[in-house]
Amino acid sequence: MTVNTKNLLRLGALLGVATLALAGCSPASSDDTTGDSASASTLTVWIDAERVDALKPAAAAYTEKTGVEVDLVSKDNATLKDDFIQQVPTGKGPDITMGAHDWLGELVTNGVISPIELGDKADDFLDVAITASTYEGQVYELPYAVENLALLRNADLVPEAATSYDDMIAKGTAAGVTYPFLVEQGVDGNPYHLYPYQTSFGAPVFGTDATGGYDAAQLEIGNAGGEAFAAWLSSQGKTGTGMFNTEITGDIAKTAFTSGDAAFWLTGPWNVGAALDAGINLAVDPIAAPSTGAAAPFAGVKGFFISEQSENKVAANDFLVNYMATEDVQTALFESGEVLPALKASAEAASTDPLVAGFAAVGAEAVPMPAIPAMGQVWQFWGIAQAAIINGEDPTATWQKLAADVQGAIG
Amino acid sequence: MRTDDTDVSTTKPSKRQHRAAVVAEAASGGLKAILVKMALLGIVDAVALYGLFILFLQQQWLIFALVALVTLVVNWIYFTPGKLPAKYLTPGVIFLVVFQIFVVGYTAYIGFTNYSTGHNSDKAQAISALMSSAQERVPDSPSYAVTVLDQFGTLSFLVTDPNGDVSLGSADSPLAPVNDATITGGEAVGLDGYTTLSFQNILSRTAEITALTVPFSNDPNDGALRTNDGSSAYLYLSSLVYDEQADTMTDAQTGTVFSDTGDGAFVSTTGEEMLPGWRINVGFDNFARAFTEEGIRTPLISVTLWTITFAALSVATTFFLGLFLAIVFNDMRMKGRKFYRVAMILPYAFPAFLSALVWAGMLSESFGFVNQVLLGGAQIPWLTNEWLAKISILVVNLWLGFPYMFLVCTGALQSIPAELEEAATVDGARPWAVFRLIKLPLLLVSVAPLLIASFAFNFNNFNLIYMLTGGGPRDAAADVNVGATDILISMVYKVAFTGQARDYGLASAFSIIIFVLVAVISVIAFRKTKALEELNR
Amino acid sequence: MTSTDETTRVIPLKRPFTFKRWFSRTGWRHLVGIVMVIFSAFPLLYVLSASLNPQGTLTGSNELFSRVGFEAYARILNSPDAPFAQWFGNTILIAGTTSILTVFLGALAAYSFSRMRFTGRRAGLLTLVLVQMFPQLLAVVAIFLVMSTIGDLFPAIGLNTQIGLIMVYLGGALGVNTYLMYGFFNTIPSSIDEAAKIDGASHARIFFTIILRLVAPILAVVGLLSFIATTNDFVVASVLLIDPEKQTLAVGLYKLVSNPNYADWSAFSAGAVLAALPVMALFLYLQKYIVGGLTAGSDK
Repeated sequence: MTVNTKNLLRLGALLGVATLALAGCSPASSDDTTGDSASASTLTVWIDAERVDALKPAAAAYTEKTGVEVDLVSKDNATLKDDFIQQVPTGKGPDITMGAHDWLGELVTNGVISPIELGDKADDFLDVAITASTYEGQVYELPYAVENLALLRNADLVPEAATSYDDMIAKGTAAGVTYPFLVEQGVDGNPYHLYPYQTSFGAPVFGTDATGGYDAAQLEIGNAGGEAFAAWLSSQGKTGTGMFNTEITGDIAKTAFTSGDAAFWLTGPWNVGAALDAGINLAVDPIAAPSTGAAAPFAGVKGFFISEQSENKVAANDFLVNYMATEDVQTALFESGEVLPALKASAEAASTDPLVAGFAAVGAEAVPMPAIPAMGQVWQFWGIAQAAIINGEDPTATWQKLAADVQGAIG
Repeated sequence: MRTDDTDVSTTKPSKRQHRAAVVAEAASGGLKAILVKMALLGIVDAVALYGLFILFLQQQWLIFALVALVTLVVNWIYFTPGKLPAKYLTPGVIFLVVFQIFVVGYTAYIGFTNYSTGHNSDKAQAISALMSSAQERVPDSPSYAVTVLDQFGTLSFLVTDPNGDVSLGSADSPLAPVNDATITGGEAVGLDGYTTLSFQNILSRTAEITALTVPFSNDPNDGALRTNDGSSAYLYLSSLVYDEQADTMTDAQTGTVFSDTGDGAFVSTTGEEMLPGWRINVGFDNFARAFTEEGIRTPLISVTLWTITFAALSVATTFFLGLFLAIVFNDMRMKGRKFYRVAMILPYAFPAFLSALVWAGMLSESFGFVNQVLLGGAQIPWLTNEWLAKISILVVNLWLGFPYMFLVCTGALQSIPAELEEAATVDGARPWAVFRLIKLPLLLVSVAPLLIASFAFNFNNFNLIYMLTGGGPRDAAADVNVGATDILISMVYKVAFTGQARDYGLASAFSIIIFVLVAVISVIAFRKTKALEELNR
Repeated sequence: MTSTDETTRVIPLKRPFTFKRWFSRTGWRHLVGIVMVIFSAFPLLYVLSASLNPQGTLTGSNELFSRVGFEAYARILNSPDAPFAQWFGNTILIAGTTSILTVFLGALAAYSFSRMRFTGRRAGLLTLVLVQMFPQLLAVVAIFLVMSTIGDLFPAIGLNTQIGLIMVYLGGALGVNTYLMYGFFNTIPSSIDEAAKIDGASHARIFFTIILRLVAPILAVVGLLSFIATTNDFVVASVLLIDPEKQTLAVGLYKLVSNPNYADWSAFSAGAVLAALPVMALFLYLQKYIVGGLTAGSDK
């Protein structure tokens, strides 16, 4: 018996060797002639794991309508973009991938996505969605959702919305909870969550060019508003009121708010579910501004991209433009994720929910997160400077250094 | 397979009897062994022939030659007498070469290319991507309903404009009005003499249809109609003109000419680069940059020193704790050893990134368990103070790494003959002396190479650093994006992969440099342990 | 500490129990054990606590086990998108096959390095370890290229196949582990081989029937190490296995938390706890082989 097992294993090993020997190795040849004819009517779509459910009925309905199979491949969100960029040139990538608009710069510079012509349908989408999906004058993304921050309020603790940042802190403090106000930070800061306050002081990152796109040549971050923001941030940090704390991570904020220990929480729609599940009486308010300008957060637009190397571009375009851009499908996607749809009609329908309407109202002020490659140079200095200011470094000097570092890196 | 054997042996009356039977069987089993060997090789060859046949059909000559060669060599090795080492090494080596050596070779090769964001594929793909992005819709032009028609293999667009006027055009003939088209629902769907393509037909001719441009008129400046979905067409003008002969791209608006100057992209005379470009060989450029890049050069010495310290201390702490525990729980009289052992490999059985996350939370200054609960509300900046962060990293790495050393040492301890120890004890040696003079040297015979390998692993332990501190704390006043706990590989990651820019070429060049550094240290270490290795021979 | 073995032997067993003697013999070992169990297990209590709290987060709170429920376990076991049972089976199959073959290939190589003398032996040994020291920054890109080429020609063993993934893992079969086995082989006196050779046994028979038995502890250790490494691998498996029903636990579970905004730590923790069970079971089972040699030694 023992001899048999051994031989079996030996056989297995040798078979492995044999199959391997057969396979041999060589870098992928680009003149690969073994194109799979079966894929002519199969669209491969890469998609976040948590959206598969929502797309399944839509995909099935499309297959029924056109005969085109839609193969939904759930991918790891963290590696999706790099996998896509690496695999498209080999011809092995998907036809369509789900993604976010701030990938545009990287995807276009790598030549892995092709433009999408929305035609008259462009008017059916929220303005911010179309602006965000446009890169160097071309639309590359079919948007399906718009995400932005808003102010969550525990209505049992504070029945009225705050009129300004100071009012919010006063109301939160009056509620007598551990945290009048929570915002997610981290050891390296979190500029995304501080951006509304920065814009309130009139300091966006970049200016815009004639077409409305961000212009790396017009760096605005270091303007006078930026320094005013830095001074204010310092006053709310460790040496000031202590409202901002780099120790408060997303998890800590979530736990505190859901256990009723916080009055206000600046966060995105992704945390609404957790707060409702915890039985919080939730209201979504505009972001209470610390200064004269509106507190405009970044908008992140989720959508779909078509691979430049797709062999099924007609089906891919038809699926996205003539099918995914319809109200039914956008509404179905909304129901799975509770994130504001990018299509106006669906967005209106969704806004009957006051919580969604709250986010939509803030979203009307939101500006697309810059997708230009220069933004990458900003992130690496931005958060660390803000964290330093929160922790008591000199605000003006730190902010000036930030602006200089970014300017130097962009060149 | 081992498990079966041992089960059998423990149920037999005596181990020695069993072993004798095995040896006796061995002497008589020659023929059977040969038959098994022949059968296995037969299968290997049959599969190889099948594979060669497929490769022949696919005309993959290079792979065909490689497979044929490997098959011949394998047959030669197993059919000729002698060559014992090759007989034992070949199976593993084949996998090693295909999946590990290839990876090393590929990385090395990338180190000599400009593979990076914007230089992601070959020139043909870059040109096609540039041209597809350059299709700009003519401003204020309407959207046209289109039906794709076929006549003798040539495709045409049957176009209905927003006014309901119908016209026909193909790649060679500009749009011209037609009036005998079949109209359904205000849209022309067919024309006599032409076959209307069904959606299925459109799908199967995707490449042709998306490449089809139908001139709007005889004036090329009026643009051309294209369709992406086979049902609506738009008027486009290309903002770029590619001249295949001259291999240049011309900006249609400014007239600027971009040409391929051998830099992996179309470049204008003023040095403006058009992206995407393509991958080219750049020789030693990446290596030159590796030594001049400011983000690397400034902190190089301090980071290298910390990397070596971190790797060496990690190995030392995990090894000594693992060894100590292996010895402690090797005592036969101790009850419950099994369960202590299982509890101690727990850290190894969970995904490391999960553990690193938990540790990061536990070490948080104001909210972490360590400060809040263990130290009663202390405010110790475990991860944000330069030195404490280094210590924290080492402690977490000890937690992550000691189970491995514990397992390895437990296994290796079994190889030390009990007689040696008994003899020494009888001679009056004290326990510590027995350990230091007899056990440790013997143990090092088998584990010294592992310690070196573990050093190399920690030298490149990107994941731990990335997940626990991200290299921080970082001095906001420093000019470069490097923190106190950054090791070489995490620093390289930050320099080569900033924001949206991925510079694989530079990263590969760094990989090679780091590899050379680690390899040199390791080879020196191996030299030092050579004496140990021959100890018992 | 080891000398206690010997002293106890000459002492009559009937001596009355005293705490001091018990402590100096085995008691202190329990103390070490308890300390180590706390050190090892404590951080993982967070994981367990998060898995039992349906809205659990990993780092937000120090109130462990404030809620106890099995919703997260039910969630992953019943989710239509996450065929957890299938992933579990795949993982055991892939990790089991890989570890058995790794032990086998590694033992073959270690045997030849230990027992035979040939040109390039030292260099070969060194190469095995050095190859694994190469930074793996681009490994996934390279492996994807190899597997997609193989898949074009032989779809059964290319991309999106479990056999293909196992083959990639076997690329690491020779390496540090071989070195570990090699060291252990070296401690087996070659007189045993010589004796069997005189009895007329072939080299293969000596290897399979005699040597492999004697090195059982290290085979078990290497098998376990390989099993754990394969179970926890995410990077290669996530690129090679595309269809959800073919994926492993690590690939499936990471998808639950890869998007920080929607991370379901509760379900992920539950999955990680379940995934650790086979590893623990395997270790419990293998222990008798790992420390078996010692039993044989003290029996005589």
